[in-house]
Amino acid sequence: MSSGREYGLLFVLPAIIVLALLVAYPLAYTGLLSVTDDQGHYVGAANYAAVIGARVTTTAVWNTVYYVGASIVLQIVLGTLAGVLLNQRFRGRAFVRSLTVIPWVIPGIVAATTWAWMFHTEFGIINYMLASAHVIDAPVGWLTGRNTVMPALIAINAWKLFPFVAVMVLAGLQAVPNELYESARIDGAGFWQEVRHVMLPQLRPVLTAITLLLVIWGLNAITIIYTITRGGPANRTLITPIEIFRYAFEQFQFNQAAALSVLFFAVTVGFVAAYIKLFATTAEPGVR
Amino acid sequence: MSLSWTARITILVAAVVLVFVCLFPFLWMALSSIKTLRELYTVPPVWFPEVPTLANYMKVLFASNIPRYFLNSAVISLGSTAIALALAIFASYGFARFRFRGKAGLQAFVLVGQLLPTAAIIVPLFITLRFLGLVNTYLGLILIYTIITLPLSVWMLTSYFRAIPVELEEAAIIDGAGRIGILFRITLPLSLPGLVAIIVYAFVTTWNEFIFALVFAQDYRVKTLPIGLAEFSTEFNTDWGAVMAASVIMTLPVVILFLAMQKLFVGGLTAGAVKG
Repeated sequence: MSSGREYGLLFVLPAIIVLALLVAYPLAYTGLLSVTDDQGHYVGAANYAAVIGARVTTTAVWNTVYYVGASIVLQIVLGTLAGVLLNQRFRGRAFVRSLTVIPWVIPGIVAATTWAWMFHTEFGIINYMLASAHVIDAPVGWLTGRNTVMPALIAINAWKLFPFVAVMVLAGLQAVPNELYESARIDGAGFWQEVRHVMLPQLRPVLTAITLLLVIWGLNAITIIYTITRGGPANRTLITPIEIFRYAFEQFQFNQAAALSVLFFAVTVGFVAAYIKLFATTAEPGVR
Repeated sequence: MSLSWTARITILVAAVVLVFVCLFPFLWMALSSIKTLRELYTVPPVWFPEVPTLANYMKVLFASNIPRYFLNSAVISLGSTAIALALAIFASYGFARFRFRGKAGLQAFVLVGQLLPTAAIIVPLFITLRFLGLVNTYLGLILIYTIITLPLSVWMLTSYFRAIPVELEEAAIIDGAGRIGILFRITLPLSLPGLVAIIVYAFVTTWNEFIFALVFAQDYRVKTLPIGLAEFSTEFNTDWGAVMAASVIMTLPVVILFLAMQKLFVGGLTAGAVKG
């Protein structure tokens, strides 16, 4: 329905103006910063060359792929399992559903510091429990060891966000018509066959949309890494957003930070566009 | 329908494991917050404090900036939630109920706001705010958080408005009501769950945010709770007892708010996505 041609635009305009001022303008300004030096002189692609040439950039890219990729796989697998569980009938289900959501809603920095304390080499409860169970002989320096720090951070990140996946999967499962389960049962399907042939196909659109959100959030969420390691030790946990942060607010090289931001943004948008194109009908949230 | 015994036991065990995984860090946080220094730093760790102490809470509440930061967090979270809500209501109504030129493009533009990597806009945003003289002010932080929460709020509320039958509004148009009157007297009351969902979402997101606060709040008069928590740890020394006590203090409000509003929130959040 429509009354008055451009009347609807008036409703939308305030939000658009605020977003344009505080998103579009800074974004354009980033583009400008990336091709100038700190005096404002045009320098062409020099900042880009400097950023791409830095060895640390390559390290950061691989770390980002590793961190975001592994986190998402864990979040989707654990979240789907939890969602399927919460869809079963058992006593206390509402209670368990409520509690499951908590890791997702707490502040990222609280999750980071609490887990850092649990992972503490000397006084941490995790080393103590593992030693009591004879899994390890000597305390492991989870957050200081070069080979353990990334898996530890990925575990924390997965713990923080798998509840979100669980909630969305649960909602998706509740939208599955009962007849589908019934006909599967008449065909003599067991529980796992039901999961494979009824639940997972029905969940596909939900999981597609969630994965996209998780990628975007994963590329954004630097709180956990920044709080615990700031990219260390020896750049083992340095991901690209943290590299940008370092350029800007530790070395005060705003122009190189801008160049890296533009590259990062281009890759992100490219990835999102490709993803949406690939799963076109299902991944466009909210636009019917 | 009755399940077999093995199925029931499997479900029970899985549920217990799930609750344990989700809650153990909070249990450990709470236990650590009431331990004395001596009990915090012993090997092997003790599970339960022999003599529970409130000393950590005393330190956080009376000998640190945390109370002030709590106030700052409350002002900034409420302010940005209010602005985001107002902007989102009008924008969503426009998107849900009108046709106009460039609508698809504008909708895409709003979604791009959600795609922006934090790191990509933080530098120019910092320069912009410095230019406007808004670094270290409530207003600066409120605006920042408004743009962070606005895109998803518009998206959620638009699909909520679409789900409300147009006929209800058309009847009122015939009765001569204006558009704004219809929005406030008919559409909004019917969208209460959706509104609650975006209020909770915007408030919790703002309350929890760390990176933007780190850059844009460098003065104790505007610093928020997450910054306060970070201040308890320096490079060389972390007061774990105080950190855990402060963690409890800043976690409780969001957890209580969320558990109270959970049904509405999850319903509003999933309404758009699940229809696919």
